[in-house]
Formats: sequence, structure tokens, C-alpha cells
Amino acid sequence: MAVEEAQGEKTPVHRVVPATFTPPPSSVDTVPSPAGKSSIVAIITSFHAGYFRISLSLCSQALLWKTLSSPSTDPHGLRPILRALPSFAFLLLWSLALLSLLLLSLLFVLRCLLRPQSLRGELSHPIGMNYFFAPFASSLLLLQSTPFIPANSALYRVLCCLLCFPILCLDVKIYGGWFTHGKNFLSLAANPTSQVSVIGNLVGARAAAEMGWREAGTCVFALGIAHYLVIFVTLYQRLVDGSVLPAMLRPAFFLLFAAPSMASLAWDSIAGDFDISCRMLFFLSLFLFTTLVSRPKLFKRPIRKFDIAWWAYSFPLTVLALAATEYTQKVKLWLPNVLMVVLTLISVTVTIMLLVFTAIRPNSMLPDNDLFQSPSTESRSSPSTLPL
Amino acid sequence: MENTEGSGPLRDGASSHELPPLFTYITSEGVAGFDTSSSPPGDCTVTQAAINSSNSTCINAGTPIISIPAAHSHNHAHSLSISLPSSPSALNGERIKGVVFSDKTEPKAREVCANNGEGTNASGLPPRKPAKFHSQPMHVGFESVSKFDQNLARKDRLKDNRYNSFKTWSGRLENQLSNLHGKSQDQAQISDLQDREAEILPAVHRYFDALEGPELETLKASEELVLPEDNKWPFLLRFPISSFGMCLGLSSQAMLWKTLSASPSLSFLRLSPVVNLVLWCAATALIALVAAIYSLKIIFFFEAVRREYYHPVRVNFFFAPWVACLFLAIGVPPRVSGDLHHAWWYVLMAPILCLELKIYGQWMSGGQRRLSKVANPSNHMSIVGNFVGALLGASLGIKEGPLFFFAVGLAHYVVLFVTLYQRLPTNETLPKESHPVFFLFIAVPSVACMSWAKITGTFDLGSRIAYFIAMFLYASLAVRINFFRGFRFSLAWWAYTFPMTGAAIATIRYTAEVSNALTKILSIALSTISTIAVSGLLISTVLHAFVFDDLFPNDIAIAITYKKPKSRKNKSLLNRTPSPDANDLEACASKDDAWIQR
Repeated sequence: MAVEEAQGEKTPVHRVVPATFTPPPSSVDTVPSPAGKSSIVAIITSFHAGYFRISLSLCSQALLWKTLSSPSTDPHGLRPILRALPSFAFLLLWSLALLSLLLLSLLFVLRCLLRPQSLRGELSHPIGMNYFFAPFASSLLLLQSTPFIPANSALYRVLCCLLCFPILCLDVKIYGGWFTHGKNFLSLAANPTSQVSVIGNLVGARAAAEMGWREAGTCVFALGIAHYLVIFVTLYQRLVDGSVLPAMLRPAFFLLFAAPSMASLAWDSIAGDFDISCRMLFFLSLFLFTTLVSRPKLFKRPIRKFDIAWWAYSFPLTVLALAATEYTQKVKLWLPNVLMVVLTLISVTVTIMLLVFTAIRPNSMLPDNDLFQSPSTESRSSPSTLPL
Repeated sequence: MENTEGSGPLRDGASSHELPPLFTYITSEGVAGFDTSSSPPGDCTVTQAAINSSNSTCINAGTPIISIPAAHSHNHAHSLSISLPSSPSALNGERIKGVVFSDKTEPKAREVCANNGEGTNASGLPPRKPAKFHSQPMHVGFESVSKFDQNLARKDRLKDNRYNSFKTWSGRLENQLSNLHGKSQDQAQISDLQDREAEILPAVHRYFDALEGPELETLKASEELVLPEDNKWPFLLRFPISSFGMCLGLSSQAMLWKTLSASPSLSFLRLSPVVNLVLWCAATALIALVAAIYSLKIIFFFEAVRREYYHPVRVNFFFAPWVACLFLAIGVPPRVSGDLHHAWWYVLMAPILCLELKIYGQWMSGGQRRLSKVANPSNHMSIVGNFVGALLGASLGIKEGPLFFFAVGLAHYVVLFVTLYQRLPTNETLPKESHPVFFLFIAVPSVACMSWAKITGTFDLGSRIAYFIAMFLYASLAVRINFFRGFRFSLAWWAYTFPMTGAAIATIRYTAEVSNALTKILSIALSTISTIAVSGLLISTVLHAFVFDDLFPNDIAIAITYKKPKSRKNKSLLNRTPSPDANDLEACASKDDAWIQR
């Protein structure tokens, strides 16, 4: 196995790049784009699947607003306060989410056309491969939050199947690779972003269950949960410390509590009721959230520079707020209501802030060059400019 | 007056004739009211005469290096000499410290004596001998050295500056407290090289390097301690947190006897609830006592407590007091109180929650203390608290809180279970052979089974699965009982009895569901085993405490150096890095890489 040392950091981090990951040398095509040049071609060639974080956050935010504005079964709950959000704002958000999704998809397709070999490189990258689930998950979330199409219409079902199918194909490719790639693969390559693949499965499960297809939903749910268990244990073990995840990607730690929240939402749709397993998953996610926010030192370095990775903060918070909302439906106590309001406010604030920052400084979203080229040729690149 | 031992090892670069600057500063700046005190003139003359007789030669031997301002010596009727060792080493042998009441001539005499290292053999003192210090006005004759020694030995243990690095604020708290009582004082100690070394906390890999054994208690041959190995340390320093294991064992017994006397399927035994009452009161008293002693340790030896917290095995015992209190709350006799108030549950679970947030977070994201490195069977104690809390909460009727803790405990238990079963090569603490610590494996499934039954209200499938897992683990340990021999008794063994008790209680609960002869026999057998184990341990403890007098040996696990001692040859096969204080990340990564590339 080739072990490379990533420079540019004060503390040297051993980045283990298994030899099987490097694309064949003939496909190497380094097109150095000069730093700071923001031509259209440069933007397109430096695009990667990690940008779909934006669409993931916005679509989940739309789903949250839709859930909040739907009628609540708790007469004393605090939801009516949040219903004060005008429906116009919700439509605006939904349109923004749709727009972002379309734009990002377009950019991604263009990039694949311009640089076909980068696709393969990205699929082999331990961090990059997981974000391939993001566009499909965002579309499913958008579908669930759409105000026009009811859940049992034919169009809904067709779109759902169309979007779940790529998720299943990616499952076979990526999860199959965990078994077959050779020894120690998962223990080396597992990192917090691996949970995006699990989340993709769980979103698919929820969408299927909402449609009424409980068996299909259960099947995809089982797939997601089984692999979640493996990732959870592997991440907690952290066999090789800090080798795969650079410091700037630490916002991905927030995905730690996104997966159980999403699982609880999915099981809620499948079982029809926010039962004991859903509650246990929700509590686990709440605990992990508390653990992370009580360790501010972990996030001190990523906070310094605004980056595309910041968008990783928004989606988990939104999903946690969604799970809290469903929880208050079931348990009509005052504390969960307060929790729901607090989490919703946090998630909305964070999303709005991210939108503002992105609007003010769009250039900070662009990496310097496409780093999914062969890692051996780009040799000493600093981890902070790694994609994502 | 001679020093009881020879001059201790002089530290780098300091010779006895060079007085530390602090010493000169202190002697030159007197503080009114502190440096002086009124002492009966009788004392003064005795000591004065004694001093003069032995130091008469000193006074004439050369000029003092330090000039005391005349005003100082005249203004103070009696000046206390500061009891600083003349050589900077504070870790010498039995250095005599004391204060001398003297008059104005004394400072000069003292300085002169201190300067004897110049090699004034003519004065009759051996060259390079540190200055003499005299203790508090002792009217013992200076010729009876041994009696002097005895008295000093006891006093020294209290005022011995070698333990300062383990005391709270390096001993300054103790000084303040004894100042308040008007006792004789040691003023601010010079923190020399070795003191500073002792104050630095060892990193977690040092615990694995320097210690061995399933409880990381035994010092490896190549290692040294920062505290003297041949003396008996102060009692508080020797009192480990694993003493709370006793509370765990006893309070779980109280729980067992309550369940036994209240179980409907075992009512043919006709057990009286008095046993539960007696055990419960004994357990409460014991917890109060151990907690009081440990609080004293926190107040006076906070640094030692911190080192215990950073020990990979001992950190789990920090959950023990709260779990023991939870056992007490579950096993409370009906005569003492009916249903406990809900507030008790919140009060007891709050510290557990805080500890958990810290420790589980470290497993996930703390570089040095990640689980693959520090996982050991004692980690089960960090997890079982969740389930015990869930059991208590559900018995009190609380709905959501117990479920929260059950979920958190279950998730982390799965991780720990897998990690321990894997026996990763990076994990060095798992004992190769059997050891009583393995009984902790039984703890979580048994308690989880009972708490799930309480939460859901019935002994359903989930509880039965957990119960059968617990029984399987118990059986696989029981058939290896032959191997549980030849281990040194330690207080931590008490902590390993509560899983046996937990398994017995779970069996009794199971018997209530599935009531036939086999289950009844099993419940009686397991209860008997657990009671015998606890009684045996009790006898052992009493023996060690009163007959062998080694119940609290020197707690070497907390006194390791923060880096490998230079004098010993480094015999480790996997040389991590050139220097241990190089980047720890790199060290871990390079070692792990070596394993991966095998």
C-alpha cells in the first residue's frame, strides 16, 4: 500500500491511499487552472459531487418547513407558532432548492462530459464516492416536500422509482467494494462522510414507505441500517487516527447524528408510528449531537475559512429538527416541544447564514484545481485544498 | 547533628554551596509576623545552646556569602529559618526539615554552614555536606539520632515535599490550611527539575508503555516512578478509586437479597427481608465512608486524582460511585422508604451523563484515547451505568429518560463488544489469559435484560435475548474457572462481583416468567455463588487490611514518569519515535501503519 505524507500542515498526517485507487496513468490529464481564475471552464472542471451538499441542505430545509406547516395533532404544542411562516416563504425556499438542484446537476453533467476520467477517480475516492448519493437523496427529499404532487399519485411513484434505482446501483457498487477490495479496506477508508451513503438509503426507504410500499421501504431500510452499524463501529474504533479525514472536513462529523435521525424518520414512516425504536434512534442522535457541540475544539480549525465543507453543518441539524418534530407528535410533553423549537431555530439560522455567506463570497466555493486526478501526479497538495 | 542519610543525589548542575536564588530572596526579605514569632525564651536558649555547641566551629569558618541586612537581624527577635533544602533536590532521602527559633546570630550561622560545601574540612564537617537543619524545638538530645529519626519519619511523611507534585496546587493548599492552624510551616517549595517533571501528566501511551497487566497495575521492569518506591506513601495517595468497587459489590448484594425475598416463585425459601435491610445499611455506610475519604483525596491530592482519571482502566471507576448509589436506590428496603421521588433519578443520572459525554466523545474524536487503543474490559463499567439508570427510572415510572439512556448505552455497548471481541493488535490491555476482569462481560447483558423488561412492562423477546447472551457468557467463563488462580488480590476485584449478582437477579426475574424446577435451581445456584464470592472477598479484604496490612499498597499506577527514564535501556521492539514527546499523532500513525503493512 502506498503511504503518502500530506504536507502543508503543521502536524503531518499520514494519508493512506491504497494502490488500487490510482487511476491508470494513461488517463492522467492534469489541467492546471491558475489559482483565482474563475472562468466558466475552470468552474466546471473543478466541480465535484460534494457540491450537492448545498442541494441536500436546501431540500431538507424545505421538507422541514413543510412538516412544520402541516397540521399538528397536539393541541397544546408549539407548532402553531412555527406555522406563522407564510406559505410564500415556503414556496420561495422550495423553488430555491429546486433551482439549486437543477443547476448543480447541470454542472455535474457538464463536468462529466468534459472530463470523463474524473468520474472514475471520484468513484474510487474514499470521501468522494459517498457524495454520489447526495443528488438522488436531495431529489427524493424535494419530492416529498413538493406542494403540488400528492403522495399516492402516479407521477410521484414513477419519480420515486426513477430516483431509487440509481441509489440501489450505487449500493451494489460501493458496499460490494467494502467486502472485496482487499484487507483492511474499510478500516482505512471509513470516515464520517461514509454516512452519506447510509443517509441516501434511508431517504429512499422513507420515500418508498410514504408511498405505501412498505416492503420495499423495509428492504432499503435494512440495507442502510446494516451498513450503518458497520460504519458506526468502525468510526468509533478509529483504527488509524486522522489519516483519511483532513481537518477542513471535520464538519462531516455532524453526519454522525444525521444518520440516526434519518433512520428514526424512516422507521417512523415504515412502522406508521413513532414507536420505541424510533425514539431510541432519536435519543442516540440527540446524544451524539450533544457530544459534538460540547467539543468546540474539534471545529476550531475548520471554522477559520469559509468553504464548501461548511454546508455539511446544515443538513444534519435540519434532519435532527425534523425528527424532533415527529417526536413531539408522539409524546405530548413540554420538553420535547421546547427541543423542537430550539432545534428548528438553529437549523433555520444556520441555513440562512450559509446562504448569505455563499452569496457574499462565491469565490470561496471554488477549489483551485480538480483534485480527483491521479493523486500520485499531483504529489504534494495540501489537505485543505482537497475537494470537499 | 547529622543528616539521617547521606547527601541525596544532587541534581544536575546544582552544588550544595550554591544557594538557590529563592532561598536568598526569602532570607533577605523577612515578612513581619510570618518570619518572626514569639517563642518562649527557654526554647531559644536550649536550641541556641545546642546550636552553638555544634556550630561553634561553623561560625568562624569563612565569611557568609549572603549578607543579611543588619536591620533585618536586629528587628526580629526571633527569626524563623526557612526550611528549604540546601540542595535543589526535593526528592532526596529523609531530608530533615524544620524551623529553628533563633536569634539574630542564627542566620549568619546558617548561611555559613550552608557554605560548608566549599570544602572546609577544618570545620569538622564532611565536604559538600548539605547544611544542617534542625527540627522544631525538640528537647531530645541531639545525640539520640535514632529516636530523632523515628519522630521525624512520621512527621516527614506528612510534610514530605516529595509528594507535593501530587498535592492540590502542588502543596500550597496544604500549606495554607496548616497556616490557618498556626502549625509550623513549609513555605513555598522550590520547584526543581524533578518536581516539574512529576507535575507533567503522562500521555496515554505512557500508561501502556510503563504498566502491564489486565488492570494496568504492574510496573514494567524498565520503568521508574516519580515517587520513592521503598517508602509507604501517605494514605490518601494510596487510596485508589477502585475502592468504590467495594461499594458496588455490597450494594448489588443488597439488591439481590431484596429480589430474593420478594420473588414469588422463590417464596418457598422463606427468606426474611431483614437481610436486605442489614446489607443495605452496611452498603450505605460503606459508600458514605469511601466517598468521604475520596473527597479528602480530591481536596488534598487533586493531581493524583487527575492522574487516575487519565489512567485507561481507572477512568471507568469514576462511574462506580454513581452506579453504587443507583443500586442502593433500586435495592432500598420497603421499610426505609416507599417509592423514591423522581428527583433522585435526575440527581443520580446527571453526573453519569456528564462523564459519558466526555468519555464517549473521547472514544470518537479524541486522538490519543480512541477506542481501538484504550479498549479494555473495564470499559464495561462506563456502559453499565446507562442500563442501571434505565432500570431505576423505569421502576420509578419515568418514561422517556430511561429510554434515552438505554439507547445510548446500547449503541456504545455494541461498539465496545465488537472492539473487545476483535482483540485488535493495537489493543494491548486485553489479558492473554483469564482474569476476573472478564466477569464484567456479563454485567451489561444481565442489567440490560432487566431494564428492557421494566421499560416495556413484559419480559419479552428482547429481554430474553439479552438474558441468554448473559447466560452464555457466564457459562463460558465458569468452565474456565480453573484458570482464575494465581492472581494478586486487589480492591478492584470487588467490582467484578456485581456482574455475578446481576446475572443472579436476572435469573430470578426469568424464573418469575418461566417457572420450573430448572430455573429455580439455577437462580438459587447463581445467588449462592455470588454470595459466596462476596463473602470470600470480604474475608480476604479483612485479612489484607488487618493481618497483612497491605490492603492499600503504594499506588504505582499513577506515579509513572511522563517520559521514558533515560538511564534505562530502551528495550521495546517497536521503537515508536526518537523521542516520546514528538508528535503523538505521528507515533500512533507510524505504529499503526507498521501493523497494517504487515
